[in-house]
Amino acid sequence: MSTQPIKIGIMSFAHGHAHSYAASLPKLPNVTLAGIYDDDMARGEAAAQRYGTPFYADPADLLAQSLDAVMICSENSKHRPMVEAAAGKVGYILCEKPIATTAADGQAMIDICARTNTKLQIAFPVRFSPPIQWLKATLERGDLGQVYALQTTNHGSMPGGWFVDPALSGGGAVIDHTVHVIDLLRWFWNTEVTEVYAEVGHELIHPGLGIDDVGLLSFTLANGIYGTLDTSWSRPASYTTWGDVKIEVTGEKGVIFVDAFRQHLAVSSNKVGKTQWRNWGSNMDLGLIDDFIDMIRTGREPSITGLDGLRSLEVALAAYQSAAKGQAIQLHQR
Amino acid sequence: MKRVGILGPGAIAQTHLAGWQQLPVEIAAHYDLRPEMAQRAAEQYGGKACTTLEEFFAAVDVVDICTPAAAHKENVLATVAAGKPMVCEKPLARHLRDCEEIVTACEQAGVPLFVAQVVRFFPEFAHAKAVIESGAIGKPGVIRTIRAGSFPRTLGSFYGNFAKSGGVILDVGIHDIDFQRWCMGEVERVFARGRTFAEPERDHALITLRFTSGAVGHIEASWASPVGQWRTRLEIAGDEGLLEWDSEGEAPITRVTANESNTGKIRTTLSPYGTDINPYKAELAHFLHCVETGEPMRVTPRDGLMSVKVALAAIESVRTGQPVDIATFQETSA
Repeated sequence: MSTQPIKIGIMSFAHGHAHSYAASLPKLPNVTLAGIYDDDMARGEAAAQRYGTPFYADPADLLAQSLDAVMICSENSKHRPMVEAAAGKVGYILCEKPIATTAADGQAMIDICARTNTKLQIAFPVRFSPPIQWLKATLERGDLGQVYALQTTNHGSMPGGWFVDPALSGGGAVIDHTVHVIDLLRWFWNTEVTEVYAEVGHELIHPGLGIDDVGLLSFTLANGIYGTLDTSWSRPASYTTWGDVKIEVTGEKGVIFVDAFRQHLAVSSNKVGKTQWRNWGSNMDLGLIDDFIDMIRTGREPSITGLDGLRSLEVALAAYQSAAKGQAIQLHQR
Repeated sequence: MKRVGILGPGAIAQTHLAGWQQLPVEIAAHYDLRPEMAQRAAEQYGGKACTTLEEFFAAVDVVDICTPAAAHKENVLATVAAGKPMVCEKPLARHLRDCEEIVTACEQAGVPLFVAQVVRFFPEFAHAKAVIESGAIGKPGVIRTIRAGSFPRTLGSFYGNFAKSGGVILDVGIHDIDFQRWCMGEVERVFARGRTFAEPERDHALITLRFTSGAVGHIEASWASPVGQWRTRLEIAGDEGLLEWDSEGEAPITRVTANESNTGKIRTTLSPYGTDINPYKAELAHFLHCVETGEPMRVTPRDGLMSVKVALAAIESVRTGQPVDIATFQETSA
């Protein structure tokens, strides 16, 4: 095992995943969180104190710290300016999903990283879930024979904050929860989504929200498989957990149901007033960060590329377009 | 880098060696009364096969005792005499007086001994302990655990020999006795019914515990399940809540296929761990960490002794049909 020291910076703690990624770093040998930049000073200073690292109010100061890499966990619309600031100053960038709020921004991020020889990885941690990895291996072995269809969900709780401000998030439940599952399906079969039809609902579950909170996508893949994806923020505060990633596959030789996070204790506490599922399964965020650090150590290509981020974003954008037009949208037809 | 030596490289040693291989140690030596076993382990895992204990102790810094329980005492005492910190597989010994000699020897010589009660390192069980510590369920009042499988026939006739193994209570039930003591505190009395003296190869026991806190515990330990069946279950109720887990509950993966004659279905479930979850590696890493830092071990020799004492008292209760008081319990027949 190489123990070349690695210095990581984090740009913005707007997305809560920043905490999980920051907590993963000390679990890996010879990896240091070397500093934090955040455009919200109070948030950034609190994080810097919590993780025992300097806070920089100016991104240029963080990027001057001879970092190997940065992890960008800002609001979606700020991914592009932060990638543009960091590309070339560091060799490696991990950017939270979705890659951006528009395809043009996503493409610009890919382009500047290519021009500056910066390796851009998008954070799709569900690829590191052991049940999901089992499903991929099983499908690759062809155990199900011909696969006919997929019934999938990525339900969530309504996250609030900037996630419901379209200028910062680019959209609600559809942009938030389309990209994880679509990325998995593209990865399973090395394929693309070729058509999307979507019913999108606003304020069906959260009155006064001002943004979409229900999304039901119906899609076809280039390999002929059809499926649906429910992206709704439909888990109430009284529910047992934040949400789910479920993939149910129907094929020639049987069916497989995967509920990626169903490894939990059920804990009912009068102090909380409800039953909660406490996950004890593998830490997929640690898997993601371990893979990112391995890329830095070995200099290999990212396992999840900027293009992977862009392609899944395009599906979410096509879903909004479909809902606006009331018809299916074609994409990536060859 | 610590040099590890294995005393008794049999079945459980294979699991331990796979854990040691992933830790920063040198697997340095193997010793077994059957020299061919030591030779085989040396060929597979590296290190040398020793023909005398003197040669073995000279080659190692720490010792992992994986012999059958009946041989634990002599090996622990030899390791104490050599002044080497050690892991000892559960149960600490076959008889209470052997446990007492072990505890006294370790305490007098100041040699660290870790009892490999691995259940404390399984993620479901470790999380349950953390939930109790968090106060979420309040003061625990009743705990129920199940550990049920088929008789370990493939590992030889040893387990069916009560004089050597102590039957299902000392081999299987001791995991739950240790876990329940960890969560609930000391045991005051035990009552048990079982098949230990009826049919050793379909041994089964239902154990009722009363803790000194006033709390109550129940354990099912079984070798009477059908081949291929393995179940653990955990439930702890307190004055502020409840936690539950069942290995036969919903799993992250369910697969349904037709049977060979296409007249019915075959349904299987799976709950894979990632490489970050390995309870055997975790307990050995914990032992190493404590040896290096002097921090207290999660399982002490006295914990090992008390679990054996409660298990032997439960066996006595099966024999006599009477409740057995732990504080005054003496092992009468060996």
